[in-house]
Formats: sequence, C-alpha cells, structure tokens
Amino acid sequence: MNKLAISRTGKEAGSITRLPRSDGPPLRVARPATALRAVGIHKSYRRKGIEVPVLKGVDLELAEGCFTAIVGKSGSGKSTLLHLLGTLDAPDRGEIWYDQRRIDNLPARARDRLRNQTIGMIFQFYHLLPELTVLENVLVPRMIGLGWWGWFQQKKALTARATELLERVGMTHRLLHRPNQLSGGEMQRTAIARALIAEPSLLLADEPTGNLDEENGQIVLRALLQLCRDEQITLAVVTHDDRIASQADHRIRLVDGRVA
Amino acid sequence: MYKLLLSLRYLRTRFIALASIVSVTLGVATLIVVNSVMSGFASEMKDRLHGILADVELASPGLGEIPWPEEHLREIRDEVGDELESMTCLVRVPALITFEFRGRQWTQQVMLLGVDEQTFGAVCEFQPFLLDSARREKLDFMLNDGTYDQRLGDCGWSYRRQKESNRRQVEAIIEMGRRNREATAAVPEDPATASDAPRDVVFLPLPAEVPLVNAAAKPEVASQSPGPITGFDPASQHRPQVRAEDLFNPLRDQHTGIILGVAIANRMLKDPDTGEQSELFLVRPGDDVSITLPTAGDTPQPVIDNCTVVDFYSSNMHEYDSTFAFMPLERLQKIRGMIDPVTGSASVSSIHMRFRPGANLEQLRDRISARFPPEMFPYVIQTWQDTQRPLLSAVEVELTILNILLFLIIAVAGFGILATFFMIVVEKTRDIGILKALGAPSSGVMSIFLGYGLCLGMVGTGVGIGLGLLFVRYINEIADGIQWLTGREVFDPTMYFFSEIPTLISPWMVVWVAVGAVLIAVTASVLPALRAARLRPVEALRYE
Repeated sequence: MNKLAISRTGKEAGSITRLPRSDGPPLRVARPATALRAVGIHKSYRRKGIEVPVLKGVDLELAEGCFTAIVGKSGSGKSTLLHLLGTLDAPDRGEIWYDQRRIDNLPARARDRLRNQTIGMIFQFYHLLPELTVLENVLVPRMIGLGWWGWFQQKKALTARATELLERVGMTHRLLHRPNQLSGGEMQRTAIARALIAEPSLLLADEPTGNLDEENGQIVLRALLQLCRDEQITLAVVTHDDRIASQADHRIRLVDGRVA
Repeated sequence: MYKLLLSLRYLRTRFIALASIVSVTLGVATLIVVNSVMSGFASEMKDRLHGILADVELASPGLGEIPWPEEHLREIRDEVGDELESMTCLVRVPALITFEFRGRQWTQQVMLLGVDEQTFGAVCEFQPFLLDSARREKLDFMLNDGTYDQRLGDCGWSYRRQKESNRRQVEAIIEMGRRNREATAAVPEDPATASDAPRDVVFLPLPAEVPLVNAAAKPEVASQSPGPITGFDPASQHRPQVRAEDLFNPLRDQHTGIILGVAIANRMLKDPDTGEQSELFLVRPGDDVSITLPTAGDTPQPVIDNCTVVDFYSSNMHEYDSTFAFMPLERLQKIRGMIDPVTGSASVSSIHMRFRPGANLEQLRDRISARFPPEMFPYVIQTWQDTQRPLLSAVEVELTILNILLFLIIAVAGFGILATFFMIVVEKTRDIGILKALGAPSSGVMSIFLGYGLCLGMVGTGVGIGLGLLFVRYINEIADGIQWLTGREVFDPTMYFFSEIPTLISPWMVVWVAVGAVLIAVTASVLPALRAARLRPVEALRYE
C-alpha cells in the first residue's frame, strides 16, 4: 500500500492509506459523490466480562455536501457510530472510508490530524473548555493544529476568522466571556464556530439541540445548516428529534445496531 | 500554544495548585536558608579555626623541643621556599595563671604560647582579634591607654595607676592605724581606768602625703619615688645603690606583657528578668598576673613569673578564647631555660608556616615530611585541616545529611504535586477528552500537564528563592522577632562562636536547589501526565 500525504484542502494530513486501485497508480480524483462510506461496522463494549454488541454491521454512505440525519431510539448505537465515523474510537470490524482513504485504521497521529483539520465535531453537552474564553475556545483547534511558529504567524488572521464565525452564529457580544457565563444555546453556537474554524469538510454533530429548548434549538440548527451550506460541508447529525430529521437531505435510521 | 495557554490558565484558576506552589516554595526557601546558615557557619568556623592555626605546622610532640630552629627554618625554606610566604617559631607550654579578684587569688590553666612579635602576625590571623585597636596595627606586648575596646571598660595605664594609687592609699591608712595603735599602747595603762568603760581613742591626723584617688592618675605621680630605704642593711656597702627610678613602680612600669584569651578573663552574666547580657571582667589590661609553668629540659621544675595583662584575644571561638594566652617568645624561652648557655641558640616547640593562597597544603606537608623523615625527626607535621579534622568532618557530615533531609522535604512536596495532579487530571478528564476530540495528540495532552508541573515548579521555586534570600538577609532581625514573640532566645551568642547568625549564600547552591526543585516538580507530574495522555477520548468525553 502506498502511503501518501493528501487531503481535500491540500493541507498536510500525515500518512494515510490509499485505496488500492486496479486501473493504474493512485491519482487525485475529483470529489466523489460519496464523502464518507462505512462498510460492515461492528462495535461492542465489554462490561464486566460480558460483551455488549452495539453496532452489528452498519453500512452507510454520507453524500458530499449534504445534510444526513442519523435517527434512532436511545441506545440504538447512534452516538457510538458517530464516534467511529469521527475516528474517536476504532470499530471492532468493518471499514470506514473518507475521501478515498481508509481512516479507521490510521495511526494515532494521523487520526489526530484528521480530527483536527478535516472533521469537525459538535456534542450534545457542548464540551467547551471552561478555563478559556469563547474566542479562545473557538481558536483551540487551530492552536492544536499549528505549531508555535505557525500560530504566531497566523494569529491575526485566525482571530479575525474566529470573530467572523462567532458573528455569523450571533455571538459577537460574548467573545471574552467564559462558558459558564453563557446559556446552553450560546455554548452550542460557540461549539459550532469551534467546529468550523479549521475549515473541515465533514461535520459530525451528536444531538446538537438535545439539551436546548425548542426556540434555542431552532436557532442553533438554523445557524448550523446555514454555515454548512455556505461552506459546502458534509453534515451528519445524530438526533432523535424528527423535526430535525425532516429537514435533512437524507435520513438513516438505526434500529438495534443496524441500518433499518 | 494551547499547551502553554492551558497550563497557565490551570495555574491561575486552580486553587489547589496554590497548595503545591506553597509546598515547593517552603521547601526551596528552607533549603536555601538552612544551606546558607550552615555554610555561613562552616565557613566562618573554618576561618576562625584557620585563623590561629597556620597552614602547616611542624611541632615537636608533647612538651618536646625543636633545637636549632634556625637550621630547621633554613631546611624548610630550601624545600618549599617557592610556595612559602612566611614562617614563625612558637613555644607552646601549659601553664597556670593566677590573678587577684576581690582580694582572692584565682588560678586557671592556660595554654601559653610564646610568639615572635615580628613574624607571628604574618603567619597566623591573630591581630584582628585583639581588643586593642593600636595593637591590631602592630603586634607588641606593651600596655596602652585609650585604645582599648569599649566593652572592657576601665583598663590600660589609667586603670593601672588608679589601682596602684588606691592600693597605696589603703596601705597608708593601714600604716596609720598601726601607728595609732602603737601610740595608744605607749601610754601606760592606769589600773583605775582599766575598766570596761569606753576609752577615748585619739587618732592621729590623716597623712597629708597620701595621694588622692583622682590625683593618682596624673602622670607626675608616676615619677614620685618611694621613700628612701631605711633600716640596717649589712650588705649596703657591697652593692650599688639603687636609684628610685630603677625600682619597679607599677605606676610607671609593667611586667612582661601577656595577652589573654578573653574567656579566661570574663564571665558572661545574664539578667534573669530582662535576659540582657553583660560581661564581668575578672582581670583587665593593666592588672598584674603571675604565671607558673614548667621549665624545659629533662626534669621540669615549676617557675613563676609576673606578667602584666596588656590585651585580650577575642576570636569568638570559645575553645581558643578560653585556652590561649600569648607572651613574647624570648621571654618565655628565657624563663623556661630554653636558651643554650653555650651557643645562645634558643629552642622552640613548633614552627608554623603560611603558604601562598591556593597552595596545595597536603602536598607541601608531604614534602616537608620527606625532608624531616620521622625515623630521625619524630615531629608532628600537619596542615590546619589535619589538626581540626574531627570538627571539620563533623560539620561536613552534618551539612550532607541536612541537605538530604531537606531534599526529602522537597520530595514530599513532589508527592503533594503528584496527588494534586492526579486530582486535576481526574477533574479535567472531560477537558482532556475534548482536546483529543479536537485533534490534540497524546503527547500534546501530556505536555500540558508536564508544562503545568514545570510552571508550578518554577513559580514555587522562584518565590521560594526570593523568600529564602530575604529570610537569609534579615535572619538576625527575624531571630530577634521570634525571640520577642516567644520570649525564648533563638540564637544564644554565648553558646556559639559568633555574635550573629552567620550566613553565606553560594550562587551555585541556589542554582542546584532551583534545578532540583523544578526537576522534582516535573518528575512528580510525569505519572499524572501519562495517565492523562492514555485516556481514551470517547471515555473521557462520557466522563461526568
């Protein structure tokens, strides 16, 4: 297998594994219609010696630039699937392909880089860093991605981009506040800005409105959809809320660890 | 960048970090204070020990003698002349010193050293410790006046004259009483009046020539000659008449000068109520003392000589101050009979050498030993460190052990950091998960906590160094403050060699302490940092 460093934006993405092709040497191909493809994903957790299967052979495809909703009841394995897609965890069996490369068995460093630069994630509980201000929270992924030198070189431009993103999610008045001074909706909007700062091509959201009231949920969702459309980002949202699912381009329903 | 940002932010927002910083701070400050005091103590003590001891000493064992010292000096100069700065000969003999205080005789044993006025000061650090400022410039054994240290009170010539005139006055009064008694006894006793009835006693008027106490100090009194020698002297024809000026007159003359260790002469008194210290001098410069010492030779005989105390030696080393008395070398050689009547060569007890600074004393000692092989010359040849080996090695061992113990204190602080960090890692588990979800590598997460440990160690060490140095700078004031607060004396100058707590800050020591403390802080954060790095992001995110 060839190990090459490529990525959608041309950014350094570390060593990745390319799909073996029968028709000649590996090539950079035009964007396929399928951004992310999962094949036969199995995942089980071991609790006190008992194996609890969560995903039992999930196959799915996320279409490039589209909004896909993954719905299902509590405990159907939606969040686990999202974590696997976001390389936070590795499947027991099965393969995950993103942008023509297999990402589930990448070395840790390469997966870290992928999460940092290519995949944005949004969580139900916002997961902001309480010690940092809103602006700093948004900038953290770029701080992680860039070294000292890179950070100091691009600090101004990045701060401007972060401010712009926060403006687009309506958080301009909260730049220097700490997360504990924000409402749930504001925290989630900050998290959205953070997920987008590194210009990812894929955004995975785990119940982004699950902790918000309806009005705030709508604001957050609208902001999320608008941004993803503007930036042509492939969006996958795990939700049990049918109203959200109804706005999606595609819907994938998980029942008992399988795609129904 | 995020590592530094988070490390600093954690440092600022975690109250518990403050506890770790304080423990590092205290450890570092303690280490610096104790080291400074100990090395100050050790170096001051070494200076003092070295002061009276020459670099290298060639001594005859016990009370033995080194005959022909000039030849020895020449041999030594031949052997190590290139490194030699100066040499001096000494006579060392145990002696008894007897002085009068409040009408009683007090005797004390001393180690009497006969020193050469010309060369002794160049070889041994002696003059700076004398209490007569004039003698610090040039060593002699003459009584002075007005140049003595304030703490001695009345002393010198004025004190001697005052004392002598007081004695004469008392003698005159006693003499008068005697005459009075004679006058009364001359009257034949009348049996009629020889009853128990009180008698009228007629006193003769006070003699007009008794010098007044205050007038006695005037110099002209000194030239007053005592009355002519009267009475029958059968040998008067055969000896030349002694003029009054040639007779020993304490108002004008002194015996051989002797310098006493100050602790031989004084007693420290402490007021039980106020705790204030005062000094009582049993003998002062200007007093006469007598010394009893053995003669040299095969059968030592006691000899007695009179001396006049001319000065005190105060090195603040109690061992020295309470032991040594110094007098001129020739005089001691003479009264001990160390001068060969035929050749006129005087033997000595030891030869002391001072070498150029930085000279290798051990090597020089060995070279001299080779020149005087022990089979032929059973001399004791040793450096000053050899002489004080037990004390010096005790201090060194003490310092080493103290350092180990104190580093253990910092190690305890290190375990505090370890525990604190584990707590912080547990508390920050979700944040660690977030960082990992955002693409932070394990090494990055690890460096956050290592950096946190480093920041903590550096801040703690920095504050500790500042605190320690301040403490050392004002240590005597602090000791006074503690004494004032608790009413207990922290540092008793009478117990030690020093009037103040001595300190010596070595920059290297500070650097080592700082490096050690920071290293311990970083080491203590390794385990928690590893744990943080190994957290799986999914579990960390799920952690509540």
